[in-house]
Amino acid sequence: MKTLGLSLTLAAGALSAGLAVAPSALAQAPDQADRIIRGRYQAILGDCEACHTAPGAKPLSGGLPLETPFGQLIPPNITPDKASGIGSWTEADFRNALKNGIGHDGKRLYPAMPYPAYTRMSDEDISNLWAYLRTVDPVFNPVEANQLPFPFNIRMSMLGWNMLNFTPGEFRPDPSKSEAWNRGAYIVQGPGHCGTCHSPKTSLGADETSQALEGASLQGWFAPNITGNPYIGIGSWSEEEIVQYLKTGANARTIASGPMAEAIEASTSQMTDEDVKAIATYLKSTTGGPAEKPKPIPADDRRMQMGAAIYHDTCSACHGADGKGARQLFPALAGSAIVQQPSSETLMRLVLQGSQAVHTDGARTTPAMPSLGWKLSDQQVADVLTYIRNSWGNAAPSVGPSDIGAHR
Amino acid sequence: METHCLKRPTRRQFLSSVAFTILAGSAAPVLARSISGALPWEARSADPPVQVKPGGWLFFTPEEARTMEAVADRLIPADDLSIGGKDAGCVVYLDRQLVGSYGNSSRLYTKGPFMPGLPTQGYQAPDTPAQRYRAGIAALNGFTAGAKGGKRFAELAAEDQDAVLKDLEAGKITLPDKVDARSFFNLMLTNVMEGFFADPVYGGNRDMASWKMLGFPGARYDYRDHVSKHNQPYPLPPVSIAGSMEWTTR
Repeated sequence: MKTLGLSLTLAAGALSAGLAVAPSALAQAPDQADRIIRGRYQAILGDCEACHTAPGAKPLSGGLPLETPFGQLIPPNITPDKASGIGSWTEADFRNALKNGIGHDGKRLYPAMPYPAYTRMSDEDISNLWAYLRTVDPVFNPVEANQLPFPFNIRMSMLGWNMLNFTPGEFRPDPSKSEAWNRGAYIVQGPGHCGTCHSPKTSLGADETSQALEGASLQGWFAPNITGNPYIGIGSWSEEEIVQYLKTGANARTIASGPMAEAIEASTSQMTDEDVKAIATYLKSTTGGPAEKPKPIPADDRRMQMGAAIYHDTCSACHGADGKGARQLFPALAGSAIVQQPSSETLMRLVLQGSQAVHTDGARTTPAMPSLGWKLSDQQVADVLTYIRNSWGNAAPSVGPSDIGAHR
Repeated sequence: METHCLKRPTRRQFLSSVAFTILAGSAAPVLARSISGALPWEARSADPPVQVKPGGWLFFTPEEARTMEAVADRLIPADDLSIGGKDAGCVVYLDRQLVGSYGNSSRLYTKGPFMPGLPTQGYQAPDTPAQRYRAGIAALNGFTAGAKGGKRFAELAAEDQDAVLKDLEAGKITLPDKVDARSFFNLMLTNVMEGFFADPVYGGNRDMASWKMLGFPGARYDYRDHVSKHNQPYPLPPVSIAGSMEWTTR
């Protein structure tokens, strides 16, 4: 009775949190409904939709092409459709895919599917996720995932890749750490697969495990350092600030943009408060990246002088002459981690294309930055970025005009 | 007092009027759309003005342009305060305006009836600014050809040009082809001033000359750091919508 009572409470909690459950799920035995609800939460932790649902398409019926350094991969249809989805898979097939990167018919998956992270998931979580995926509306949508050029299109090559780069195995909790830390580490390393974007990659496209979460470039954005590094990571953020960022997409320091905005909308904002707190606890404990700031470029440098003029004429009305921005509305540039990353890819993109804050229950205003590409030349974008990266105590490498054009 | 009160509608009248309103409303095409979640927004979206560059005339003939440059230089003569109207690009500004929506009044109501209005009611005749300049410049040169020994306006000495303009302004001159002298003078004066003081992006106000003269800071929108600095000159140079010289040279 106790178990049943607990599962009903969880189900009610999940429902009241706005998690829609397929009607067929409720008709099944209570423990099955419980599994499905927990499985749906795993799908939120793993943000399956981010890759497997194309904009405007039915959930999980296949996504937009992913541009990898090796070529294009299309996230396949993972609805229970027998012909084009995973309807003919068994739970064992699914577990094998997540834990070992091997699909239904022995096909090797490419690690764009983050099985090197999902392998850390517990059997129970994978089983629940499977139960949920069986309840998704089946959609007929054949997708040829493998669009890679020769020789990368040979799936068996992943056998060698796995030998070099892949360590299968479930997450092992560290008994010397708190329960929250272990929960956070599990989510970050396992279902949340944060390192898929935020960890630098080796030349083979694997996570550089010695530099986990130290920031990496992908799809034209720079996913910043999210270790506890005090100036380019989240080390100076309080746990509350990290929680607020992940729950709402904005805090007093910054506003999410690009793929992280999507991840916040579909995934982290819908996680439980406990899980987001656990992520914050774990991330703050990690280390990585340079411990000391470089020397800032002096203010009398010609690029800095140009950048200052552009900044005060174009940017300061929102971000402030002192770079402090305005809470929740205009991100602070002074002391900002994203502003001081080794790569300025995200910054170039924001200046040229603009950006809009994500809409979450906790932050509904969605302030936006206008696109300035029409009025600033490549040199001017470079100079103003060099200026914000080296003013008000910030310090980061200068930006050159030749890097800008690719983002126009 | 009761006699002044409007008769209150009965409940039946009220309900039937509501029903009618709903029916009428539902039959009308739906033009509004509801937006929920994030406000509509697109990357790279911008609707910037296109920088007008001098070179060639799109509306004026070379003769008309010469006349207008002479007028602009008398309305805003070069002196120790600033460059003149011609050098500032006022006629370039005007030329580009006259080939656009201003010139053809495409954004104004221009149907009749046409009746003489009060000065405060503005221009009331059917002609567009483009038509008024074409006729007005011809009439002005026709007048000077007759009254000033066959010379066109641009060929007159500066003092003579000033005298003609003053007489135009005062309505003392009768221009040929029924062109209203005072009205045409006011049109030229208004447009030349616009060219001189508008953002350089529109072709006039070259190098922000008029803004430098006035100490106007231009297209800026944040003065929080200067609000409390009373009786101190604003230190920053003017900036155009399209940018500033400070961004590229120093």
